[in-house]
Formats: sequence, C-alpha cells, structure tokens
Amino acid sequence: MKKTSHLMAALLAAVAISAPATLARAADPIKVGIIWPLTGNAAAAGQASKAAIEVALDIINNKHPELGDLPLAATEGLPNAGGAKIVVEFTDHQGNPSTAQQLAVRLITQDKVHALFGAYHSSCSFTATAVSERYGIPFMVGESAAGNITGRGFKWTFRGTPIASDYAATYMRFFADMKKQGRKIETIAIVNENTDYGTSVAAAIEEEAKKNGISVAIKVPYSANSTDVAPQVLQLKEKNPDVAIFISYTADAILFMKTMRNLNYLPPMVIGDDTGFSDPSFIPGVSAVAQGVMNRSAWDIGKPGTTTYKINEMYKAKTGRDLDDTSARNMQSFFALADALNRAGSNDPEKIRAALVATDLKPNQLMMGYEGVKFDQTGQNVLAATYLIQLKGDAYQLVWPDRAAAAKVEWPMKGWK
Amino acid sequence: MSRNVKLGILGLAAILLLYPLLFSGAFALNVGSAVLLAAISASAWNIVGGYAGQISVGHGMFFGVGAYLPLLIYQITGLPPLAGVPVGIALSIILAIIIGLPAFRLRGHYFSMATIAVAELIRIFTGTWEYVGAAIGLQGPAVGRGWWDLTFRDETPYYYIFLGVLAVVLYVTYELQRSRFGSYLRAIKSDERAASSLGVSVRMTKLKALVLSAIFTSIAGSLYSIKTGFVDPESGFGILVSVQMVIIAALGGAGSLFGPLVGAIILVSLQTATNTWFGGGGSGLTYILYGGIIVLIARYEPGGLYEYWQRISPRLWRSRRAA
Amino acid sequence: MLLLQVIVGGLLLGAIYALFSSGLTLIWGMMNFINFAHGEFVMLGMYVALLTVTYLGGGPVLFSLSAAVTLYGIGIIIYLTLIRHVMKGPMLAQILSTFGLALLLRYAAFWIFSANVVSLPQTTLSGIVDVGGILMPMSQLVAGVVAIVLTVGLHLLLTRTNIGSRLLAVAEDRNAAMLMGIRPDRMQALAWGLAAGSAGIAGALMAISYPFSPSVGETFGLTAFVAVTLGGFGSVPGALYAGLIIGLIQALSAYWLGAIYKDIVVYAMFAALLWLRPQGLMGKAS
Repeated sequence: MKKTSHLMAALLAAVAISAPATLARAADPIKVGIIWPLTGNAAAAGQASKAAIEVALDIINNKHPELGDLPLAATEGLPNAGGAKIVVEFTDHQGNPSTAQQLAVRLITQDKVHALFGAYHSSCSFTATAVSERYGIPFMVGESAAGNITGRGFKWTFRGTPIASDYAATYMRFFADMKKQGRKIETIAIVNENTDYGTSVAAAIEEEAKKNGISVAIKVPYSANSTDVAPQVLQLKEKNPDVAIFISYTADAILFMKTMRNLNYLPPMVIGDDTGFSDPSFIPGVSAVAQGVMNRSAWDIGKPGTTTYKINEMYKAKTGRDLDDTSARNMQSFFALADALNRAGSNDPEKIRAALVATDLKPNQLMMGYEGVKFDQTGQNVLAATYLIQLKGDAYQLVWPDRAAAAKVEWPMKGWK
Repeated sequence: MSRNVKLGILGLAAILLLYPLLFSGAFALNVGSAVLLAAISASAWNIVGGYAGQISVGHGMFFGVGAYLPLLIYQITGLPPLAGVPVGIALSIILAIIIGLPAFRLRGHYFSMATIAVAELIRIFTGTWEYVGAAIGLQGPAVGRGWWDLTFRDETPYYYIFLGVLAVVLYVTYELQRSRFGSYLRAIKSDERAASSLGVSVRMTKLKALVLSAIFTSIAGSLYSIKTGFVDPESGFGILVSVQMVIIAALGGAGSLFGPLVGAIILVSLQTATNTWFGGGGSGLTYILYGGIIVLIARYEPGGLYEYWQRISPRLWRSRRAA
Repeated sequence: MLLLQVIVGGLLLGAIYALFSSGLTLIWGMMNFINFAHGEFVMLGMYVALLTVTYLGGGPVLFSLSAAVTLYGIGIIIYLTLIRHVMKGPMLAQILSTFGLALLLRYAAFWIFSANVVSLPQTTLSGIVDVGGILMPMSQLVAGVVAIVLTVGLHLLLTRTNIGSRLLAVAEDRNAAMLMGIRPDRMQALAWGLAAGSAGIAGALMAISYPFSPSVGETFGLTAFVAVTLGGFGSVPGALYAGLIIGLIQALSAYWLGAIYKDIVVYAMFAALLWLRPQGLMGKAS
C-alpha cells in the first residue's frame, strides 16, 4: 500500500515536472563528475567536501536571492543555458591513483559528464587530469597541493585554489608586517607531514624564507600516523625558533599541540597551515592548550547576516559541523566551474573550456577571501589569496590582513597559560 | 591434461581474446586491463608463494622497482618509459638475490615477516629520497610523443599487451610445473627437510623461484606505471600492493596454474562493482562488502575458488551430458 | 636532560606496544596463526572507551574495563564464528580471513562513527608529573604503568595458574591435551578473548592521549607484528621486552635522526635481527 502511494506520488511529480517542460523545453542537465577520497585515510576530508558540494548544488539549482552577489544563487539553474540544472556524480578513488584514472575514464565515457572535478590527493589529480587531457574534457582541480598539477602544458586543467607558493608568500608578507610592529622573527621551524601535501608546502616555505632573509632553524618532516611526537617537540625546544609552522593533518596536529603542553614548550608563535588545524575536531581537542595558535584560511564565517554566514548555516544544517577551509575552497572552485558552465551556455567541452579561460570573478562574487578568480595560461587561479586567523577561546578570529581583520594579532601566543 | 581441462582453457582464452569485442566501452576495457594486470602479478607471486610455498607479503618491492624505473628513466633521460623495463628487471633480480639469500634461512611466518619488513623499509626510504620524487612520486609523459611512449587514449592496446604478457607468464609457469624444477618446488613445499635429504638444493631452488617470480612481478609493475603514467611510494611499494597479490592468489587457488587468474577476475570485478555501486555514497559499504566476501570465501572455500570449480565442474559436465 | 626525557617517553609508549603485542603473540604462539586484524582490536577499544565516556560517563577505570570486557567478548565471538573454522585450512586461507576481517571491522567503525578524527574529553587525566625535571603527562604515565602491570599479569596467568597451564598444554600438544581432558576449543576461545581484550584495553589507554579515527589500527597492527617477531612467537615476556625496545628505538632515532627515519631504523634492525637470530629475542631455537 505504502509502496503504491509512493509510486503514485512519483508519477504525479513526474507529470507535474514534465508538463511545463514540454512547453518551455527546459535544457538538459549539465553533468559534472567528481572524483574524491570518500574512504581510506583522507575520507574525512572527502566526506566534508562532498557535503559542501551538495550545499553548492542547492544554491545553484534553486533560488537563493538572500545570498547577495554570489553568481547563480538568485536564479534557478544556469540561466544562460536555458535554466539547465547541474547534476553531479560522486565517485570514490580511495586514495589510489590508478582508481582515480579508471574513474575518470568511466565518468567521461560511460556517464558522459561534461566536466570533471577533484581529486584532493595530488597523486590522483595527476592521473585523472591526464585522462581528461586525452579526452578533451575540462577538469577543475578543487584542491590539491602539488605545484606542478598546473603547468604541465595541459589545455584542459584548471585550479581554483591557491597553491603552496601563494601560501608561502602570504606567510612572508605577514612576517614583514609583524616585524614592522617590532616582533622578532629571525628564525622559523618548518614541521611537515611527509606526504605530497606537507612536502610541497614545506619546500615552498623554505624557498620563500630564503628569499626573504629568514633562516630556517630546523625542518622536521614526520609521518602523519605517528603515535608519538615528543622527540620532535624536543628537537624544536632545542632550536627554539621564533615561529613554528606546522603543515599537518588532523590527528597529528592535535597530538603536537598536546605534546607541546606536556613537555612545557611554547614557541612565541605557532602557525598551522590549514588542513589539520581547520578540521572541526581540532578546536575541541586542543582549545585548553593552544590559545593564540594561528592558522591560514581563506574562509571566514563572518557576522550573522553575511553571505558567508548563511552558507555556513546551510552547511551546518546538513552536517552539524562548521564549514572548514578545505571544503570551502573546494566549494569555491565548484562555483567558479558552475559560473563557466553558465557562461558557456552549452555542454560543448570546447565552449566550456573557452568560458573557463575567460573567467573573471570579482571579490564580491566570491565566498572566499580571494582577490578574484582568473586563470593564467597554465590554468592556475592567479588571484587566489588567503587570510590568517587566530584561536581565541573556542573559535578562530580573522586577524590578518588588517583590512579584513576582526581582531588584533596576539603575539606571543598564550598556549595554556 | 584431460580433454575437459583443455576445453576449459580454450574457452577461457577465447573469452579473454574476444572480451574487447563483446564489451567495447573504454571503462569495460579499463577494468579488463586491471584484471589482467592483477592476474600477471598474482601469477608471478604464485611461482614462489604458491608452488614453493614461501609466502612473501613483500612482493610490492619488486612491483615498485618495476614501476619506478620506466618513469625514472623517462624523467632523467627523456627516453620512452619502455626503456626502463629491462633496468627494472635487472634491479629486481639483484634485489631478489640480496633478499633471498638471507631470508630463505627463515621459515613460515618468519619469512613472511621479513619480506614485509624489507618492503616497508624500501617504501619509507623511497618516500624520503628526492632523486626519485620522494613523497610526490614520478610522472610519465601525459600525452604520448609517439606510439613508443605507450600512452594511448584507447584502452584496447593496453588490454592486448597485458593479455600477451599474461600468456607468457602462464606458459612459463606451465612448463615450470611439468619440469624437474617444478617437482623440486613441490617437494620443498610439502616437506623441506625431506626434500633436502633427497638431494634437492633447497635454498638454491627457492632462490631461483624467487628470481623468476621477481622478474615477472617487476614487469607487472612496469606495465602498471606506464599505463597509469604515475607512481608514488604507496602505489608502488605499499603493503596493499603486496597483500593484493597474496589475496588474489589465495582466493583463486595458490599453487594452481589458473588460480591467480580466476582470483583476479573475481576480486577485481568485485572491487570495481562495489566501488561503482556504493563508492559515491561514501558510507564505506564498498569495503564492508569486499571484506565480508573475502571472509566468507576463506571460511567456506579455504582452498580457493579454482579448487571449488574443479570440484563442481565434472558434475556440471556430467549433468549436461546426461541431459 | 632532554635525552632522558626522550627515553622516558619512548619507554612509556613501548609499554603500550607491549600490552597489545602480548595478545597477538599469545594466539600466534598458541595456534601458529597470523592475525591481520589485531590493530583493529586496538581501534575498537578506543571507540568503546569513547562511547563509554559519552553515554555512561565515569573515568578511565570504567572505560578501560568496558573496552577490555567488550573486546574480550568480540574476540570469543570471532573465534567461534570464524577462526575455529579457518584454522583447519591452509595458512593462506588464514591470512585471507583475517585480512578480510580487518577491512570489515575498520569500515564497520567507519560506517558507524564516520571518518572524522575524535578524541576523549581534554580533561581526562590531564595533569603532568614532574620528576626531577622529567615531565610525564599523567595520561601516559598511568597508561604505561598499567600496561606493564597487565602484561606481567598475563604472563603470570599463563605460567602460574591452572587455566594458564591448560592453555599452554593446548599450545604444546593439542592431542595430548585432549587426552588429559582439556577441551582445546574452549582454551583457544579463551586465548582469543584474552588477546582481543588486552588489545582493547591498550586501545582505551592510548585513547586518553591520542586522537583517533577508524584507520588508526593499521599502524598498530604492523608495530605489533614487529614486536611479536622480535620477541619470539608465543612469548609474552618477549613481547614485553620487544615492545619497550621498539618504543625506545623509535624515540631515540626520531630525536637523533629525525621522525621519518624512526621506522626505517626499526625495520632495518628488525630485518638484521631476523637474519642473525631467526627465533627472536626470547624464542626457542627450533
């Protein structure tokens, strides 16, 4: 009985939808294939980003006039493409580059997607973008660390997020500002987990530091699944750098903060490079011992009433957690792709590519603190930028750059004191 | 070989040869190539793990060497990755001798543990070594400069290359099985001391089997990295790479000629199917099913599925004749 | 001073390694059975601790006990439904079954608890003890000491009690034990219960200081393998020494050479030791 009533409802709905469609001839949906780690060691990041994309889809495909200048929010679907909706197909590469390659083939040839999106692990972005290059299908890299994903001469690869060298340059500008205010920043320590993410960012920071005359007192690469980081904290204690920069995943970031407390070592400032420090588990795990820790984030929830605040509310209603920076950057890259799909006005790959090349989003059209979205000839967004935030109480507050800051930088950090 | 078995082999060969014609989509071919690649490495493992009964859980070391060398040669010299295949084989042979000489003093679980330790050692070490790409890994030519780079958009050439290599591996294994060397291996597997007292040079025989196995595993690794165009420490030397070979061989039937092929067909299809159906949901159901089925097979068919097939196929045959 | 601090930290962690490795060595030695899912028992122990704290409240004593009891039960159930049957099969089927089991347990946890990293409340055993300048976090000190006590306790249980001698009798000669009226099945079920239970309590003790997620078991599984091989299959004192030694070597090499080299050093020493002394530190030469 229940089944039949469901069936009836579905039939009625189908009739209701198809009736106007036959009149208006609504455009076919545009398909985007998404390749992510939904199981395996990076599953948490993949799952959080998946929820973020689902929120983005809601915003794009339904009317959300309350979201200000955010492109495609006020309208239903893609107005330029006859009101076409975007549908996505989520897939799970399990952290395996050859699975990512296989999924790209499947999505392009089997599901006939018009664009691809992914893939978090640099290894998987390498192999999946190569497939889209061979088939001539645009690939938007939402978030992957390795610098050379763009810049391999690929025509079809774009990346909406800032990359390691941008972050490194940001830290240096921040240090220069702090020095002007009389803080002492002569030596830094770089502590990085040793997979593609940590290695790429650490190398970029070291290079920038050299250029800016800041000496790297010690580099501490470690494995993210370490159960004990006390020896590493003691190594830091010995070198006593002015700032320690951590490029870490979640469990290890928490473990480092707790171990520093246990060994009574507090550098003047700890800067976390996003990822682990932005994970919603981080603050509840360490708020008692890591007061004043700084973090990079291009995502700021903002005050009630702002567009970003409303987006966060939508995300929170879905997942029960605040939107984190990694997922937010994925979401922003997805908006940039949707904007291009809209301007292309068709599902022809060449036209979508041309629209991506012509992308020029202004800061007021973004949910992130970028200066815009504009791709150079390698496909890299050159206007991507980032904020620095600082842990005060149970939340991060935006403290740098000054033009966007909601609070002042507290230097040195308090830790547990 | 009985007539039935011969017919079975011919049937299997026909299906494998014609598969690209039956399923022409790129995805189906990609899965087909993945099955063949898994069958090659599991069959290679089978020589030392199945026939000689020396359960290595570290064969990823040979796979990884084979996978790294083509891309390394390409990165350094610009030569086509294919040029790295023989270098990879040579290195794998050397590695097999270095590992085999001491490790074959160990028996049973100790041998397995030693191979895990060495493979992990190589994996971690590779991840810290800048020259071979450290944690980020190595890439091949993304867009081929010519056919010799073996980067095809079409999946068919890969499929037939892999099928050809598999045929070679199986043929060598078949000859080996029938040779005197093969009977030495079986003697060692059933009772090392007895074999030794009968005048079999146990360590030398095991070492030869390991070298042969390493050669084919290395080739499998090279095929993997040339097709994928990428390798990093995890996908080359990772423990899952090693475990996968053991699981496939065990699932199909270790120590039988076609066991690894049967295991690869079933396991890879199972992996792909569960990931296609449930992967996008992200609930982890993929692995729950995958793990569950492995457990069930181990519980109810401990000898592997090939054994099961051998048990039921005569009955099927008879019933069909009767009908 | 810093060096002493490193050594103490390494030993405290090594004590936990010892506890969960002693469970693995018990079934390995007794049944000549490799369990690839042992790390998953540690992971389950962590989640049982978290559930206990969240829903029942109470302190470390309660959640450690509940992890031990729950995992003891899980161990027995797994033995009765799976291990008992695959034990009769070839070694490869055993590897297959516990590898499948590991995936099953890891992703069952993943399904129930999600992939997110979680930790116990920050206030659990949060003090720090200062002994002459050596800082020991209360959580790790308690965990380390309890782990050593339990490992020694397990050894005494095996060597000094009636039940222990029956267990060992089964390990030594199954048929002879049966003739003496011991039911090997019961004893082996008990061994699986003890093994899983000690892994579970080790997990609960670690959960106090370490954030975790469902994939955490992988690391512990490999460490336990090394400890068991190093100590000799079936030797609980061997696992104790090996656990402490691994903890110490990891800490010292991480301090002197760098964190990424600590596993290289452990595996290299392990491989070298296997070569020189294949029966392990405490094992009997066969």
